Amino acid sequence: MNPWFVFALMTVAAVFAVLWPLGRRYQSLAGGTEASVYRDQLAEIDRDLAGGLIGAAEAEQARIEISRRLLAATGAETGPVAQPTTRLRRVIAIVALVGLPLAGLAIYLPLGSPQLGDFPLAARSQAPDGKEPLVNLVAQVEAHLEKNPTDGRGWTVLAPVLARLGRSDDAVRAWRNAIAYGGDSSERRADLGEALIAAAGGVVTGEAKGEFERALALNADEVKASYFLGLAAEQDGRTGDAASIWKAMLAKAPPDAPWRGLVQAALSRVGVVAPALSDDTMAAAREMTETDRNAMVRGMVDRLAARLKQNGDDVEGWLRLVRAYLVMGEREKAVTARADARQAVANDADRLRQLNEGLKNLGLDG
Amino acid sequence: MTRKQRRLTMIGGALAVLAVAAALILNAMRDSIVFFSTPSMAAEKQIPVGKRFRLGGLVQPGSLKKGDNLVVNFSIADGSANLPVSYKGILPDLFREGQGVVAEGALDAAGTFRADTVLAKHDETYMPKEVADALKKQGHWKDDYGNKPAQGASK
Amino acid sequence: MIAEAGHYALVLALGLALIQSVAPIVGARRGDIALMEMARSTALAQLLFVGASFTLLTAAHVTSDFSVVNVFENSHSAKPLLYKITGVWGNHEGSMLLWVAILALFGALVAAFGTNLPLSLRAHVLAVQAWVAAAFYLFILFTSNPFARIAQPPIEGRDLNPILQDIGLAVHPPMLYLGYVGFSISFSFAVAALLEGRIDAAWARWVRPWTLVAWIFLTLGIAMGSYWAYYELGWGGWWFWDPVENASLMPWLAGTALLHSALVMEKRNALKVWTILLSILTFSLSLLGTFLVRSGVLTSVHSFATDPARGVFILLILCIFIGGSLSLYALRAPQLKQGGLFAPISREGALVLNNLFLTTACATVFIGTLYPLALEVLTGEKISVGAPFFNLTFGPLFVPLLLAVPFGPLLAWKRGDLLAAAQRLTAAGIVALIAIALMWAWLRGGPVLAPLAIGLAVFVIAGAISDIAERTGLFRMPLPVSLRRARGLPRSAWGSAFAHAGLGVALIGIVCETTWNSEYIATMKPGQVARIAGYELKLEGLTQRQGPNYRETLAQFSVGLDGEKLPAMTPSKRSFTTRGMSTTEAALLTRGASQLYISLGDASADGGIAIRAYYKPLVLLIWWGPVLMAFGGLLSLSDRRLRVGAPKPARAARRLQAAE
Repeated sequence: MNPWFVFALMTVAAVFAVLWPLGRRYQSLAGGTEASVYRDQLAEIDRDLAGGLIGAAEAEQARIEISRRLLAATGAETGPVAQPTTRLRRVIAIVALVGLPLAGLAIYLPLGSPQLGDFPLAARSQAPDGKEPLVNLVAQVEAHLEKNPTDGRGWTVLAPVLARLGRSDDAVRAWRNAIAYGGDSSERRADLGEALIAAAGGVVTGEAKGEFERALALNADEVKASYFLGLAAEQDGRTGDAASIWKAMLAKAPPDAPWRGLVQAALSRVGVVAPALSDDTMAAAREMTETDRNAMVRGMVDRLAARLKQNGDDVEGWLRLVRAYLVMGEREKAVTARADARQAVANDADRLRQLNEGLKNLGLDG
Repeated sequence: MTRKQRRLTMIGGALAVLAVAAALILNAMRDSIVFFSTPSMAAEKQIPVGKRFRLGGLVQPGSLKKGDNLVVNFSIADGSANLPVSYKGILPDLFREGQGVVAEGALDAAGTFRADTVLAKHDETYMPKEVADALKKQGHWKDDYGNKPAQGASK
Repeated sequence: MIAEAGHYALVLALGLALIQSVAPIVGARRGDIALMEMARSTALAQLLFVGASFTLLTAAHVTSDFSVVNVFENSHSAKPLLYKITGVWGNHEGSMLLWVAILALFGALVAAFGTNLPLSLRAHVLAVQAWVAAAFYLFILFTSNPFARIAQPPIEGRDLNPILQDIGLAVHPPMLYLGYVGFSISFSFAVAALLEGRIDAAWARWVRPWTLVAWIFLTLGIAMGSYWAYYELGWGGWWFWDPVENASLMPWLAGTALLHSALVMEKRNALKVWTILLSILTFSLSLLGTFLVRSGVLTSVHSFATDPARGVFILLILCIFIGGSLSLYALRAPQLKQGGLFAPISREGALVLNNLFLTTACATVFIGTLYPLALEVLTGEKISVGAPFFNLTFGPLFVPLLLAVPFGPLLAWKRGDLLAAAQRLTAAGIVALIAIALMWAWLRGGPVLAPLAIGLAVFVIAGAISDIAERTGLFRMPLPVSLRRARGLPRSAWGSAFAHAGLGVALIGIVCETTWNSEYIATMKPGQVARIAGYELKLEGLTQRQGPNYRETLAQFSVGLDGEKLPAMTPSKRSFTTRGMSTTEAALLTRGASQLYISLGDASADGGIAIRAYYKPLVLLIWWGPVLMAFGGLLSLSDRRLRVGAPKPARAARRLQAAE
């Protein structure tokens, strides 16, 4: 609503309050008079006497005293005579009609800031200022989590962003907290493993391997975990094992899986001496400028979006996409993604429920 | 009694009560008023041993020593002088070195201020008023003691 | 837009108040009913706009809109919802807005329910009310605007002062303000009477209930503030004679006096001029309290504001209203009709005595509070006037007052019989003497004053009971008759009995707490046991916990008494990261009216923690007393009978009811 419209409404209400009594007709004097108070008191004495609360002698004396005052009061009663003073009323009406709005504006304008909208926290945390660099947003989320370390959702939002910014060690910690406070899932375990690899400079460590195995135990079709287990085998020199893992993935994969190309590339690599894949990528990420990093993050988000367009069953993926848009301050895109997601899983009640719950957690339900 | 007599009785009664009150106030003023002083003022004025006063200043950094049984020793300084203070009990939440405090008590024969109350019931962003004024007067005032954090400056 | 709408609503309220402060008076002078009636509609509209303004500020706090400076400085997104709401009045600007909101509420109540008031009196009262309101709207808008904005809103707020994040503070200021501001009604009535040049019967009839309402709230507000200080400041004190506390005590004392003198005026049409003066003084002291707290002339727990511009502005308001009303009084009071006659020994006489002592006690508090300020301004010397001063002045003045309290209700109006009253109080006196004797025997040479003070308190309570017994004929008539009479007894008689008994109850609490309070201070390690007043407190362990916006160290104590196990106590210390402050959360264990109290100090390097434990016998009576008083006030308020007191035919009246 336009603030000026609201101000105008309020002004009209105020002017009305002043003009209302002027427009009414007054038959007689409203309000009590002194005599009526004394009459009340006399009536009360009678009531109390009847109720046995006071003695007859006292009642009589009180009655005499009040009657004396009543007489004095009626003698002196000269209430105001109802005589409209038209000129005065007109002056007051003009003051109300013109003076009130003018004075209101004269005082309000220098003091107020009508051009400023509301900035409730809820709206700002979801639609941050477009000018605000990503790094600042991350810092805010981190500050928030420092005080509320049990906020699982916060960690889940933060962790992928940290990973993309190349802060691998922090990303590892964030994923661990996300799992501890936000609940375990194959996705998160796999992401944690990936972050561990990044932290180790591209080497699939035993620790990371353990996470991938846990992820697969939770969901045998977890793509990322399978791929990295393959990579682990490759790095261990067990190229055969690696090849069979990847082949199995391709066999199970839908023909349009976005990662098909990646796995095929890996397969073609097997047998040749394979360098650690993500080493270069990660090193590059560390040297990137901020703009590049943003571009990189955006690229990743775009890829995720593309993947989901092709395969819409992945509720977690959708949620991740919505979350990413929110973090990047692109609320409109987030809303569009929400609509797409609902459409994609519309046939599956279970998934739809899961999706709606997730959206609720993101504060984007409705 | 006539109206006049009644009125006189009342006025007389009122005056009597007021006189008693005035006497009580004067008496209490003599005995129970506590003066405020900083360490340098205390040195200057030669406050006698055992006379109660309030001592205000900054807790000298590095002077805080906690002994057994909650005995605490520290110095209160105002830039030109300092005075050792001894206190037994729990220090207030906001007590720390470099912070402004007011202690109430009296000097003992050894020249140590024996405090029975230590007040630091103030927001960190400003000092106890008496301390701030005293420091200002002596030119030891750092502006940032008094300023509330600048408006809207953070983040 | 929320904040801006609130801001504009406040500006409109100012505009309405300005119209309301002129038009009705002009109307009353010219006999124009419409202009007089305008006072009502504008008063109601004022409430609407100020109420909207306050609600919108609350909305900004709840949604953590940090583009509003006030929200940014006093709120934090992680703060629990309750404290987001109470934080609205936990700061200078917001509390002033609450102040005017309550003022508008009282004005609107007069407008809405004042239909039986003489028209011109109502017009005058509401106009005076609008003067006060306009002054404070200007103050808020120009020196303490809660709706100031920041164009680039910060991400996070500064948080409310942690010691104010407490449920006690959620209720204390609104109560206190309802009391302070409630006295504005009697002030407006007084000034209106002076302006009109006459006081009619409706005047007293109206002033008393309003004063009573304000007094009830102020009583509860002070009691609540005291209890808050007791458990939140962590050292078990409940009254510090801090200037801010004195600022609320002074209007209370004057208001109590006003309550009693308005009674005389209502029943006997006497003490008119004095009552008018007291009305003015009571509200002046409320304004003074607002000035002391809000201008920052004092620096104490409550003074969140330190800004000279504000101080000067409030001082100006103070001078205009107090100076103006007192000059008007000096000018007009001699013209007012004098009221009825009464003998010094009579109900009126007793109430005059009450007024005399209450106002004198109020004056000593006034001097003790303002003398240090005056001295500092004049000579630059800094002194502090603390508890010893008030114990030496306030205490002695209250003793005769308390001694007189039981006599008042037993004296007849106009012309009383002191001897008869004394006879009726024989039982109460004997009970009090027995109490003193028992205390002596039990203590055998302990403190001398304490048993006497307890005896005095018992006398006050027993006096209140014998007043009721006397009126209902208890012990003299068959029980059913007394019960019937008890039901028929005016509620105001019950009210004054309860209020007077409350005074005695509070006194017992105060004496017991100050005399037999035991204290234990030490550094304890887990497993160690502290013994205090027969209780065994064992420190079981220390734990850490994360709260919504603080981190907390909790100490678990198991409590035992003679081998019996009592509920555990867990005092804690909270540190608030945003402000870098910590607060002490004392643990309280209530046993009857007594309490065990533990608060924590600093943790030492070797794993111990400093603790402070108290056993406070009958301490709760200190607050039950005021609650009883407020309850008495409420009873009295529900009694709408208004009658002129009839003098009792000297002794024959024994069997008859005093006309209350």
